[in-house]
Amino acid sequence: MAEIFTVMKWPLIACLLLPGILVYLGLHIVQREVIFVDLALAQVASLGACVSLLLGHEAADTQTYIWSFGFTLIGAAIFAVTRMRHHSRVPQEALIGITYVVAAAAGILLLSRTAEGNEELRRTLIGDVLLVSPHDVLKTFFIYLGIGAVHFVFRKKFMMISFEPERAEAEGMSVRWWDFLFYALFGLVVTSFVQIGGVLLVFSYLIVPAVCANLLASRVAALLALGWGIATVSGVAGLYAAYRFDLPTGAAIICVLGAVLLLCGLAAYFKKEKTI
Amino acid sequence: MKNIILTLLAALLFAVNAQAKLNVVATTVDLASIAKEIGGDKITLATLAKPTEDPHFVDAKPSFIVKLNHADVVIEGGAELEIGWLPALLDQSRNEKIVAGAPGHVNCSKGVPLLDVPATLDRSRGDIHAAGNPHFAISPVNGKIIAQNIADAFAENDPANAEAYRANLKIFTTALDAKLAAWQQALAPFKGRSIVAYHDSWPYFARDFGLKIELFLEPKPGIPPSPAHLAEVILKMKEENARVIIVDPYLNRRTADTVAREAGATVVPVTQFPGGLKGTEGGYIQLEDYLVNSLAAALAEKK
Repeated sequence: MAEIFTVMKWPLIACLLLPGILVYLGLHIVQREVIFVDLALAQVASLGACVSLLLGHEAADTQTYIWSFGFTLIGAAIFAVTRMRHHSRVPQEALIGITYVVAAAAGILLLSRTAEGNEELRRTLIGDVLLVSPHDVLKTFFIYLGIGAVHFVFRKKFMMISFEPERAEAEGMSVRWWDFLFYALFGLVVTSFVQIGGVLLVFSYLIVPAVCANLLASRVAALLALGWGIATVSGVAGLYAAYRFDLPTGAAIICVLGAVLLLCGLAAYFKKEKTI
Repeated sequence: MKNIILTLLAALLFAVNAQAKLNVVATTVDLASIAKEIGGDKITLATLAKPTEDPHFVDAKPSFIVKLNHADVVIEGGAELEIGWLPALLDQSRNEKIVAGAPGHVNCSKGVPLLDVPATLDRSRGDIHAAGNPHFAISPVNGKIIAQNIADAFAENDPANAEAYRANLKIFTTALDAKLAAWQQALAPFKGRSIVAYHDSWPYFARDFGLKIELFLEPKPGIPPSPAHLAEVILKMKEENARVIIVDPYLNRRTADTVAREAGATVVPVTQFPGGLKGTEGGYIQLEDYLVNSLAAALAEKK
């Protein structure tokens, strides 16, 4: 039993400390119906890293970090500007999808120019939660504390622009700018977690607990409590399964989250039957 | 009663004996296969990468850390072959015995004259390795150096069995030498023939057998083939009468098939790891047998 802790200690700490903010942001994302915005922002950030490599920087350099954050800001601006077009017949989800695909394709084009192979990029940009280093976990945790503090201070405004955008506009809030800030912070959260857990795990931690919670509750406090509970239990169960049956770790957590969603769906179904 | 005590004693002896075995972990199957020849029944052996996996990209699983955590000796190819995944695993396993530089850490590239060492490190040439081309283990000549490195490490970490390791080394090297002569003879009629590879993993093999493996489907190591580059390769293949393309199991077979169709060539599946293809499971020597025979057959057919 002691062995599981030597092997899984830091993955466990990562799965206990870090998904909290993802679950919270996931509630915003599900409410805004921009489910794939995280993948698009992560892809835009890695396009920034590709540009940095093209300029001759190494994947681990500070310049590369600055480039990818700069690109994340551009992505945030795109998503902030394209929201709230009541008259438009183009859904924002389409623009998000296009951003994702074009950023991915542009990355391939740039890489073929720089001749920097995938190897290094993959190594630095896409993590494996089994192999997280204590340094990365703590660094990311402090970044998340800072972002969490901003969200806590302005919680009413962030909640209003996500859940009641019309009212926010009517009250004279600059929804565009708040949206930009929201997506910029969101991009930072997503890109730092991609380096720890990979793209699939980020997506799952954002969306699955939020969807589960929405199936079973509606008040914000209940949504948060349910989401955090589900993320924590699924993370621990996934890590245990990965250890017990020797599975790729991130994928194990994701499949547990999927199974939990199925259970929540069943629970919601029977709850409805009863109330009717 | 006496019987029980005897049984218990026997069990205890067995347990002590089992514990005394050197616990060895190898990164790839080719190294594991040589380690098995040297270690015999004096070691327990585990391998991390599957034979069909690209040794540059290996998906880590929790058992890897457990295995490394218990290891007395870890054997890696070195020369940056496993740089993408092994260092993080070694960190995570927190085993002082096998950290880089410790006696339990065997770097098989030690003493191997590496080819393609870049004069300057320049990003424009693709995924190049500062230390030189890391795919050296496929050369039987290098296989002997690897066996020597492994035997030295086993003897140092388990002095009680040093004699056995040295004896096994001698048996393996003698067998390999005899085979090497036969392999060189089998490929002698094709000296200087040009063969196309997908990835630049065969310079050592080419050197051992007087072949020319200098055309690659990848424009640069790690970069997916572009149409212009493939067109150029097809042109050069016709010029040099290169009619055989070799592809590892984890690389894109369809690209090779397309080029082969255009250039009138044949695709020969190859592997650098025992078990990577059917008929190579028997270990390092059987793998080399397979490579030499299938290449000789394809070269003879495509004159």
